Amino acid sequence: MSLNASSRSAPPAMSFSFHRPGSLDAAIAFAREQGDAARFLAGGTDLIIQINRGRVAPRHLISLDGLGLDRIDEAATEYAIGAMVTHDAVVNHPGFQTNLVALAQASAVVGGRQVRNIATVGGNIVNASPAADLVPVLLALDATVDLRGLNGTRSMPLDRFLVERGRTERRPEEILTAVRFDKPPAASATWFLKAGRRKAMEISVICVAAQLVRGGKARIAIGAAASRTVRVPDAEVLVERQGAAAFREAGRIAADAVAPIDDVRASARYRKLLVAALVERALVACAGRIERGEA
Amino acid sequence: MTRQALDLTINGESHQLMVEPHWSLLHVLRRELGMTGTKENCLEAECGVCTVLLDGKAVNSCILLAEQARGRSIVTIEGLGDPEHLHPLQAAFIEHGAVQCGYCIPGMILTAKSFLDERHGRVPSEAEVREALSGTLCRCTGYQKIVDAVIAAARQMNSWPEAARKA
Amino acid sequence: MSTYERRVAGKRLKRIDGIGKVTGKHVYASDFALPGMLFGKILRSTEAHARIVRLDVSKALALPGVRTILSAQDIPQILFGTAVKDRPVFAADVVRFRGEAIAAVAATSLEIAEAAVRAIEIAYEPLPAVFDMEEALKPGAPLVHGAWGDYQALPVLDREGNISGRSSMAGGDIEAGFAECYRVYEHRFTTQHVHPGYTEPRTAIASWDGNGDVSVWCNTQLPFDMKNMLAEVLDLPASKVRVVVPGIGGGFGGKLRVGVEHFAAWLARRSKRPVKIVTTSEEELTDAYPRQPTVITLRTGVSKDGILIAREGRVLLDCGAYANSGPATAALALQMLAGPYRTPHFSYESVAVYTNKGSTGSFRAPAGPMGNFAVESQIDLIADDLGIDPLEFRLRNVYREGDKGPAGDTVSSVSIEESLRRAADAIGWKDRKPGPDGGKSRGKGLACSWWLTTGGSSGVYVKINPDGTVTVVSGAVEIGTGAMTGAAQILAEELGVDLGDINATDVDTHLSPYDYGAQGSRTAFSVGNACIAAAQDLRRQIGELVGPLWNVAPESVRLEGKGVVSGNNRLSLAEVAALSQRTGGGLISHGTFIQPMPTFDPTRVRNHPLPAWTSHSFHTHAVDLSVDDVTGEVSINRYVVAQDVGFAINPTYIEGQIEGGVAQGIGQALSEEIVYEGGRVLNANLTDYKMPTMMDMPRVECILIEKPSVNGPYGAKGVGEPPCIQPPAAIANAIAAATGVRIQTLPITAEKIALARLKDGD
Repeated sequence: MSLNASSRSAPPAMSFSFHRPGSLDAAIAFAREQGDAARFLAGGTDLIIQINRGRVAPRHLISLDGLGLDRIDEAATEYAIGAMVTHDAVVNHPGFQTNLVALAQASAVVGGRQVRNIATVGGNIVNASPAADLVPVLLALDATVDLRGLNGTRSMPLDRFLVERGRTERRPEEILTAVRFDKPPAASATWFLKAGRRKAMEISVICVAAQLVRGGKARIAIGAAASRTVRVPDAEVLVERQGAAAFREAGRIAADAVAPIDDVRASARYRKLLVAALVERALVACAGRIERGEA
Repeated sequence: MTRQALDLTINGESHQLMVEPHWSLLHVLRRELGMTGTKENCLEAECGVCTVLLDGKAVNSCILLAEQARGRSIVTIEGLGDPEHLHPLQAAFIEHGAVQCGYCIPGMILTAKSFLDERHGRVPSEAEVREALSGTLCRCTGYQKIVDAVIAAARQMNSWPEAARKA
Repeated sequence: MSTYERRVAGKRLKRIDGIGKVTGKHVYASDFALPGMLFGKILRSTEAHARIVRLDVSKALALPGVRTILSAQDIPQILFGTAVKDRPVFAADVVRFRGEAIAAVAATSLEIAEAAVRAIEIAYEPLPAVFDMEEALKPGAPLVHGAWGDYQALPVLDREGNISGRSSMAGGDIEAGFAECYRVYEHRFTTQHVHPGYTEPRTAIASWDGNGDVSVWCNTQLPFDMKNMLAEVLDLPASKVRVVVPGIGGGFGGKLRVGVEHFAAWLARRSKRPVKIVTTSEEELTDAYPRQPTVITLRTGVSKDGILIAREGRVLLDCGAYANSGPATAALALQMLAGPYRTPHFSYESVAVYTNKGSTGSFRAPAGPMGNFAVESQIDLIADDLGIDPLEFRLRNVYREGDKGPAGDTVSSVSIEESLRRAADAIGWKDRKPGPDGGKSRGKGLACSWWLTTGGSSGVYVKINPDGTVTVVSGAVEIGTGAMTGAAQILAEELGVDLGDINATDVDTHLSPYDYGAQGSRTAFSVGNACIAAAQDLRRQIGELVGPLWNVAPESVRLEGKGVVSGNNRLSLAEVAALSQRTGGGLISHGTFIQPMPTFDPTRVRNHPLPAWTSHSFHTHAVDLSVDDVTGEVSINRYVVAQDVGFAINPTYIEGQIEGGVAQGIGQALSEEIVYEGGRVLNANLTDYKMPTMMDMPRVECILIEKPSVNGPYGAKGVGEPPCIQPPAAIANAIAAATGVRIQTLPITAEKIALARLKDGD
């Protein structure tokens, strides 16, 4: 008799080989060679589950670990978050505690602490889940993604990068290396709100991010309300023109603009109600922070 | 598929293994090494019973490939205290009645350890403990005595020098 | 009750199995393995009701590493079940729910077993299915079991078609009662499927020996029931089946019955190798023993001053495809419809119904939360309508000492009034509708209940060792509650030793004395009493041993301070145990206990397996919560439980039972539900089956009331089940107090509240 447990680590139908390329270019070249048979591995907190559930069956996993993508770089006018930066690192970054606090707020509610220590910003974006928590914040910040491919790096607005659930503009061999956004002016604020059935460990039923710049732009982005994370330009313009007086109306416009689904987590009707409420609250929170100088 | 050689450092000891690339760290710990203190349940990072420390940070070993732990330091519950020399968290969990069936407890204790270690001795509030440990489900206790135990252990560890706390 | 100061019982001592659990050394069934072990995997139906027209395992069997594949044709056609023998090991020609086992594979690795399951070829011919209880009762509804009439069943059951059991209780004159009422209220409530949510999946490892005996290591709560059930399924004398429980990661009533043990045993028998099976989360949420959904209708009549006069109630309970404990649970719902209230005229009926969904079981306080949600919600509705404070309304109607329960049995040791008053005081009941609170609405609610301490017999062997330690061998499993620590505290008290001197063994049905099992809030109560009996017997043995030596009457010998004392004579317990080993084979006793069954009036009861309750407990929950005015999100500010525990054997673990039970109750109230669409579970994973996290739980303030029971050890009452009964009702009442919205379907999600308030605002 021995104490030697079995494991049910749900095995894939077909195993894969694991690759640790020595450079980004080697990773890209290998991915190009393997085509659909290869997947990049960031934290793996989603990909491994998908493999175990039998939804994807890559023959090669290409690890992006150790390729220098795990830094948050602060330049004079912008931040660049490397794709392999974990949510935990975003939560604790000193630059994301004031007028970029929505980043920390969103990363703080991705799974449990154990997931946040592994799951990455790049993975959250590339997965293109409409419920990804960090994506509305990045959209609200007008973020740009850097994609490195066979012919060097190209950049595009995150808003263009996202196509629909599970689909982006990324070519199979391209690596999302970083997401960048401008440092916001001092008199500005961001806020993130999420609704789920529980107070932790939730996939968003709705999540909302907003950014307000005093006398400047307004941004509103919403997750889990359509086939991809969306911005609501009509509501943004209204808020830019009318300020706080338009916060409630902005929520209504946002609720009309989104096209949520009915699923086991919530009805479309309730999701619209949440969009209206959370958009207004996020804007109020931003305005309050600017007002109080907390931004 | 062919197995690959993998050296893992677990509780300070080096283990030379041959692993299938798809094996999770949990699988390697439990089946290959017979280290069953790390528990298994949902296998999808929803319940937290499989939590181990990777370079000091709590992670779900069920969805972490063993390969991803290459070159890193792993701590499991077997690497904390032993029955004669319990870690303050282990002692506090018993003292405060925080253990019932006990199946979530190794993961809960390790998550608490990483949380307290990162705070460098600052005693957390109840709300902070609840936030930090919410990734592990316990169905027996309603969590209250777990929260109490973590705070009590933090108070005790707070009186230690930094090096001792990390040990 | 004696009033002497106790040294061990009643103290907040550390549990005896704590160190193993915090160091990862405690071995659970899922940690257990045997050399040469194969891994088992089950092929499950993808149809809810269908004829299997083709099953071809040849490709699967050809996979390297596959040792055995079994389906219905390979084993005797034996039907098993707790109340009704209606369930096959493998679906034979018909599947009755999506997720039902059709075949099982044993292979050298789990990967191979899973590949083999995928390689089995199967074809179905769909049959008309029924998913809704009320539909299932309509004439012409598809029958879940065409051959229901041929099944063996407990004689007490009244069965027909899709009805697996029907019970009723009646007293007074219901028509006359309603005729004299000032007002009569009729409401309908529905409750949902919830999973026990134990963190250790159900696990079994089976191995056959050279004598044709099978050993099964598993995490069952009822090893002796499991042994008998497996003997039936394996077509063996029970003496050839051995069940061992190494350790168990939670049960909550979900691990009472055969889960994967029978598959493991059959696979091991045919493959001639040990076989291990562990369930997945998906299997847990599609083929386990969750709490049954119910539809409850109540018609209650009252006088103008809020005295209950008459109540009619009907419970429909959805067993799923197999009856299991459904009929008994439905019957227990009748006592829940009565509640802890005097009701002169009543007529209660319950019907357990088959549908083409997964089977169900006896999750902690079976029928408790469902019946309580209906009754206690309606009490608030009535009180509000009459303009009477809900607490006052309850106080006017609750049982007093010596009242008759619904079966005409006498209700004793009644503490319901005290629990109501103390919970209400603690929550600040005088200010129960604090109102708007910055975008939220705040309100308080309470709900009270009664429950039983389940009977069934317990035996323990107690051995005093020559080193002065004491070994207790029980057939009861420590499922986490601390019940065996409690029983050990009682034993230590009786033997004059410390808790640290007591060792408790694991359960092995070949070695352990019988126990009815870790269920029904009975373990500490019943095993504790058996320990008292064993200690008495040991005192007698010791008296007879040392009496002649000391020339004293054996009855004068006392056990205290780890010693044996009479007058000036003293020997240590260790010395006496050594003496007994040298001269008389050692000190060992067999203590037993069974709770006496109360008398009741059989004319009030039909088809009820448990008509009269024993060692009642009484309890009240009170909650203070806030509801987001727009999103409907509920935040619990404070939660108070005042529970009569009779005697608090170990207050720490009693609080643990209350805090944990409240967590499960809050899950049922607000977030948990196994969601079926047709016959398919939409959320068969822990991402979308929403058990409360640490962030969802408030602190629970426990008030332990100690009104001694007649039969419990030192007056103790059953503790474990009650705490999960009242949260849904207390929370529903608080939400209504806060918002004016009354939700009568569980769970009370934020969405339901928000949309209902929207409607109210229209």
